[in-house]
Amino acid sequence: MASTSSASAPAHAHGFGPGKLLLNWLILVCLTFSTFGVSQIQMPVNYHLAAAICISVVKTTLVVLFFMHLWWGEGINRIVFLTSFLFLLLLMFFVMADVGTRFTLSNSRIAPLPKIDQTMMPTGMPPGMGNVPQGHSDGPGPSSGKAGEQ
Amino acid sequence: MESSAARKMTAEGWLEPPPLPHHYETEENHKHALRFGMWLFLGTEVLLFAGIFVGYFVFRTYFPEAFEQAGRHLSLFWGTANTLVLLTSSLTVATAHYYAEHGKNRNAFWLLTASIAMGGMFLCIKGIEYHDKFVELALPGKFFHYNEITAPGGPIFYVVYFFATGLHALHVIVGMSLLTWVAVRCWRKEFSPQYYAPVENAGLYWHLVDLVWIFLYPLLYLV
Repeated sequence: MASTSSASAPAHAHGFGPGKLLLNWLILVCLTFSTFGVSQIQMPVNYHLAAAICISVVKTTLVVLFFMHLWWGEGINRIVFLTSFLFLLLLMFFVMADVGTRFTLSNSRIAPLPKIDQTMMPTGMPPGMGNVPQGHSDGPGPSSGKAGEQ
Repeated sequence: MESSAARKMTAEGWLEPPPLPHHYETEENHKHALRFGMWLFLGTEVLLFAGIFVGYFVFRTYFPEAFEQAGRHLSLFWGTANTLVLLTSSLTVATAHYYAEHGKNRNAFWLLTASIAMGGMFLCIKGIEYHDKFVELALPGKFFHYNEITAPGGPIFYVVYFFATGLHALHVIVGMSLLTWVAVRCWRKEFSPQYYAPVENAGLYWHLVDLVWIFLYPLLYLV
């Protein structure tokens, strides 16, 4: 197991040997603990989200390049993977641009929730759902326009 | 597989590679095509999970307090443990790929077995977490009866949580099946520097499962 002799190595071998793979894993574990550590720091939730996503992107890059061999891979495979990520970002960007600026709904940090007469609620409504406005709401408060946030 | 019985053991200690399908000119050509097909498939997998991640962010925007409260009620210990388990299984799969490519089938077999065991461990931990949620009635939609989450949108959080982790767990099960299949073939010494594509492609699938969890872990448990 410990032997990493390259006596039988294929002429076109690519990719890291066990030692460098282990190093990559160690970095990934450190990044996992740093995500955990950052989440314990007191700061606004959007900063937390941004930090978590940034660290996850770094981890993904390490996994894709070295565990999945894209560092040595053919260009076409890189294009396929990057394109799928690009489409993910496009979908995310346009949906969030819409949701963040158009609806207010129950985003109570933006606008107070409208008071709903509980007797008017349909029966069988699960707890926690009681004061969720349905559909498009142009509710009261200084909420419409660009007050929306991610 | 059916051809493995007819293939001869070489002096190096692995079976001869299966014959090259007639529509490929060279071995290298064949390898590129197999790899390219797998990456295309992984692209569609990214888009499958894209829908779930977009759903997460949309509902998080609608119900920020519920998502924060519910995130705090997930077990940070088990979530972190599962992240480490999956990362380690990715390491063993990547190392198994290295050994299969060098014709060291037995090393690859044991590493793949360890990876499958870690996949099983991941599912057991997930089972413990699901059990807790069922006991607390912290469940999706109309099944939600969990008083600790007071902000509106609690049931929606658990729809996202169970759907995302459930689909991911399904991928873990498929990945474990693929790894079992290639582990058996490693035991039969089928892989060599000329032929190791099944180990590589099963490994790519497993790494993708790891990638999805890399994003799910902080979004569900930490933020």
